[in-house]
Amino acid sequence: MKRLRSVRVRLLVLGLFPLVALLAPLLARERTTDPSVLARLVTPVPFDPNATDLDARFRPPDAEHLLGTDDLGRDVLSRLVHGARVSVGVGLAAAALAFFAGTLLGSAAGAFGPRADRAVLFATGVVQAFPALVLVAAGAALAPPSPFTAAILIALTGWPEVARLVRAEALRLSASPHVEAARAAGASRRRVLFVHVFPGAISPALATVPYILGGAVLLEASLSFLGLGAPPPPPPGDEPWPMPARA
Amino acid sequence: MARFLVRRILGSAATLLGVLVAVFLLLSAAPGDPARLATGGAPGRRAASSEALEAFRAVHGLDRPLPARLATWLGAAARLDLGRSFRDGRPVTRRIAETLPATLTVNGLALLLAAGLAVPLGVWGARHPGGTADRVSGLLLDALFSLPSFALGLLLLLLFSVQLRWTPVFADPSLGLRGIALPALTLALVALAPIARVTRRAVGEALSSPSALSGRARGERPREETMRALRRAAPAFTGLCAALVPQLVAGSVLVERVFGLPGTGQLLADSVFSRDLPMVLGLTLVSGVAVVVSTLAADAAAAVADPRIVDGEGT
Repeated sequence: MKRLRSVRVRLLVLGLFPLVALLAPLLARERTTDPSVLARLVTPVPFDPNATDLDARFRPPDAEHLLGTDDLGRDVLSRLVHGARVSVGVGLAAAALAFFAGTLLGSAAGAFGPRADRAVLFATGVVQAFPALVLVAAGAALAPPSPFTAAILIALTGWPEVARLVRAEALRLSASPHVEAARAAGASRRRVLFVHVFPGAISPALATVPYILGGAVLLEASLSFLGLGAPPPPPPGDEPWPMPARA
Repeated sequence: MARFLVRRILGSAATLLGVLVAVFLLLSAAPGDPARLATGGAPGRRAASSEALEAFRAVHGLDRPLPARLATWLGAAARLDLGRSFRDGRPVTRRIAETLPATLTVNGLALLLAAGLAVPLGVWGARHPGGTADRVSGLLLDALFSLPSFALGLLLLLLFSVQLRWTPVFADPSLGLRGIALPALTLALVALAPIARVTRRAVGEALSSPSALSGRARGERPREETMRALRRAAPAFTGLCAALVPQLVAGSVLVERVFGLPGTGQLLADSVFSRDLPMVLGLTLVSGVAVVVSTLAADAAAAVADPRIVDGEGT
């Protein structure tokens, strides 16, 4: 029972972040003219993440700015709440992509014979020989930083883990009686892969999704720290600053 | 044993070659012309003349077809000639050799520190599972594990350099231990959780094995028992060391940036920013070699520690 409670607490914490990210535009926005109790409850962080207030720079946390303000007088908590959208979004997208690619390649390796197996194993070996951050940083310098590139690059480093797990499971499955029976009945390779191997090989890979997700969020944070991650979105309704024309 | 090693070495060489080709293709396919970047700087600034661009391409061999460039580069890399940096024209090998000592010192120190702290922690946890110390350290390790290394580094910087003024704000290897204590501590704290966890699990397994039971029946003292369990956990440690290498490399990139340490990680970040193709390729080669060689060494060490691993390969 004690174990169950700690699992529940963890689930609650885990669920909180996507929820905050999803509701960010409601939770943290400019307070309306009516500072009633209801408005206060509905909008607990009454600051726009991009609203600057140069009279309130570097404020320590107080009742008004719960986490203080930054160098431009922007509310840190509001920026945090909105920033969660990028982190959670990139993390989820990267984990989903890595999971999809890993499962597909892993089960192909397990189901399509020793040649495909060796090719996929070689590819995972090559990708895993890189420190993930080195690979992602190198890639981030090649494509303009955006949440989309970040997610793809992070997925690129995450899939081998899934692929290896799924491969082991697919190898076990493709030797199992039901797959043999399907083959004997004349099922095509694709049918064997998608109908008989793929569904069974997914469940062990699902267990790795939380780890990939956590790793992806950390990697995205590291990327942003280096200045290679998703740039902060421009204030809504504002035109981006005019850039000098590209040579 | 010899056949096991030869097979492993061949496999590692193939992986390394794959790493090199992959990076070369990735960087060559990149948008953005390295010649333009190296001569004219950022987009938007006035570009170099087309003659200058042509000259740059000819000097660096960028006007030749891709496979030819790849072949040349691989051949030169085998002779430890990694070309010249686009930025300052100095040999890549020399630039890397200059920055490597600082990074290796910090990482070595971090590993020593982490192992010195984590192994006793893990052994204690394995001997007293579920005890207060085990649970408190588990919680702390979880927290450390979830914290990005750069955030941890910034916190340490704020505490020790800004508030207490014990250490310089910018890491400086010439100041001795004081100059690199913070980056080493940051990397050590990041490596703490995996080492402690592997130790706890491996020693715990060894302690609950039948051989440990028979040792206890023979009247083995707890101290001897722990030593034997650690010996039995040796293959797990070698695997862990190999797994820590990529983590430390990635950690170095971030931590060196936090502390302004002029090491290899910093060099990589700078080279990525300026799209210094030979430099990025050279550093990728170094980190790839480090990972592949350490994996190979870990496999060999595990085979020495536990000969059953060789038999399991079916040689």
